[in-house]
Amino acid sequence: MIEFRGVNKWFGALHVLKDITLNVEPREVVVVCGPSGSGKSTLIRCVNGLESTKDGDLVVDGHRVGDPATDMTELRAEVGFVFQSFNLYPHKTALENVTLAPIHVRKIARSAAEAAGREMLARVGLADKFNAYPSELSGGQQQRVAIARCLCMRPKIMLFDEPTSALDPEMISEVLDVMVSVAEEGMTMMVVTHEMGFARKVAQRVVFMDAGAIVESGTPEEFFSNPKTDRSRAFLSKILRH
Amino acid sequence: MIWQQFQSLIGSYPLALRGLGMTVALSLISLVVGTLVGFALGILRTGGNQLISRAIGVWVDLIRGTPFLVQIFLIFFILPELGIELDAFTAGIIALSNLAACFICEIVAAGIRAVPTGQVEAALASGLARWQRMRQVVLPQAMRMSLPPLVGQYVLLIKDSSVVSAIGLTDLTRVGWLVVQRVPNGLLVFAIVGIGYFVVCYPLILLARRLESRMGAAHGEVQL
Amino acid sequence: MLENFSFRTIVEYLPLFGHGFLATLWLSIVSFAGALAVGIILCAMNLQRSRLANVPAKIYIDAIRATPLLAQLYFLYFGLPRLGIVLPELVVGILALSLNSGAYIAEIIRAGILSISRGQVEAGIASGMTYMQRMRLVVLPQAFRVTIPPLLGQAIVLVKDSALLSLISVSELTRAGQLLASDRFMPAEGFITTAACYLILYYGLKGLAALSGRWLGQQSVRSRT
Repeated sequence: MIEFRGVNKWFGALHVLKDITLNVEPREVVVVCGPSGSGKSTLIRCVNGLESTKDGDLVVDGHRVGDPATDMTELRAEVGFVFQSFNLYPHKTALENVTLAPIHVRKIARSAAEAAGREMLARVGLADKFNAYPSELSGGQQQRVAIARCLCMRPKIMLFDEPTSALDPEMISEVLDVMVSVAEEGMTMMVVTHEMGFARKVAQRVVFMDAGAIVESGTPEEFFSNPKTDRSRAFLSKILRH
Repeated sequence: MIWQQFQSLIGSYPLALRGLGMTVALSLISLVVGTLVGFALGILRTGGNQLISRAIGVWVDLIRGTPFLVQIFLIFFILPELGIELDAFTAGIIALSNLAACFICEIVAAGIRAVPTGQVEAALASGLARWQRMRQVVLPQAMRMSLPPLVGQYVLLIKDSSVVSAIGLTDLTRVGWLVVQRVPNGLLVFAIVGIGYFVVCYPLILLARRLESRMGAAHGEVQL
Repeated sequence: MLENFSFRTIVEYLPLFGHGFLATLWLSIVSFAGALAVGIILCAMNLQRSRLANVPAKIYIDAIRATPLLAQLYFLYFGLPRLGIVLPELVVGILALSLNSGAYIAEIIRAGILSISRGQVEAGIASGMTYMQRMRLVVLPQAFRVTIPPLLGQAIVLVKDSALLSLISVSELTRAGQLLASDRFMPAEGFITTAACYLILYYGLKGLAALSGRWLGQQSVRSRT
């Protein structure tokens, strides 16, 4: 579904992705973790072309990313992206936020889009917040609207960029619960997160990155109980200490 | 014919230089006076005395609310009626300095207000006196914030000095007006006048932009 | 001295000031509409990636900002006839004000657009919107709110700048003051009345700015408890 083959990327002189090779199967959930600055966010931002790659191949759902022949807007409509900072549109209500792209990108009739939007918002537990503006919602509620906004596009793939790291601790679980339910329905997901409980529960694979390279990759069981490298051991000891 | 006009224009270069000199003199003197008075007013505006602060606020509003041309006419024609004799140059300096002082007052006051109260509290806690707090803690931080708009204000001042030509001062704009009576090519004459102002103003505009972007970077606003 | 300040003369000239007030008001409105059009075009050019479009816009904006309006006004007033274009003074004045204010408005709009955070644009990109869709649905509606207060500030500047049109003998507010001053040798009466009329316009626009500020503030924190 998502295939990296020898992908490299530079920010100026900084080599941020080093020879990445990674294959995500349909319906697979892959958690990407690693210290800050390891390139994990850059990695998933490449998947929908928010970042461009330098060389190597990146094929998403049969489309080559970065190929001039690929219609990126079409591809992006198939790939949902949840941001660390939510990025809800502040001038639109929750319902308007989730129906904007279906109406204008998918060209779905407004009434149908709104019906689907209400259903999705109800599904993430916000049936009473249709007409609320983002500024009236808590961080956890905003992130759930953002997830509903992706789901309304009926995507084939969903990408999550540290979806809980901007949240207060008591709001993290409400967002993770929604993500778990999405995963259990068989969505193909790449999730950048340090929430190891989530990884254990739904991920088929954990990918550990450091300094722009994939250092280790395996099932959550293997990775947590028996990390193979010093760097992953050091990383795990830091995030599991608390 | 164009060539003749050129020769005639080149012939009037002493006049043009005098005009440029007048523009620079007007701007420079009122820039210095306006800055000094403006800073004093700005500090008083944010000071504790409500009455003084209000009075300054009303004056600044009156000046900001009326065209500079009308202010010049008022000063030039009315002060003599009050028994104060003054020539056009003095009237121009008074009007420009007053205008600059009012705008700079607001810039400085905004800068002072933007200093976080925690800073003043820290200075209070370490026992600094009122004036020390202002001089050591508040003003240096307010200055950094005020610098870009201050430079922008200087550009406005130089441009506003052109309005003083309306009471007969021979500045750069007035020279253009005089020359165009003899050489009937307004495009050429006022393009040259424009270049004169551009040469003075543009470096300041660039400086203001640079200061602004540097401040933005210092405050960490430019991040993805 | 001012003890013989003549209110009677002012009353006598009131129709002239009324006419001047309305003239200033409507020529400012027309010029502001023109300036908005100029500003939007300049800003659109300036935001293009192509140098062919953005370099001319940048040069124009810098040239306007680095030279006084009065010189620009004379440039058109004395220059246009040279090109065989003879226009009434009023039209020249409106043209000068629009071309001048347009450059400042272009910068205001640009700042508004650039103030929208990168994340908003990325959210649009990620959901598959095209450039035009992102602009129309995400960026411009938000930028519009940000630009209203500075646009009203620019309107205040424009109203005051319009006083310069009196120097090419357009009959407006300042011209009315000049007439009273020179006909009756009463500059105090003439220019104080003129100033008072401008203050009415100034406080009107300032009130509008405060109102819009409050309205916009309400929109962004609507009923947060």
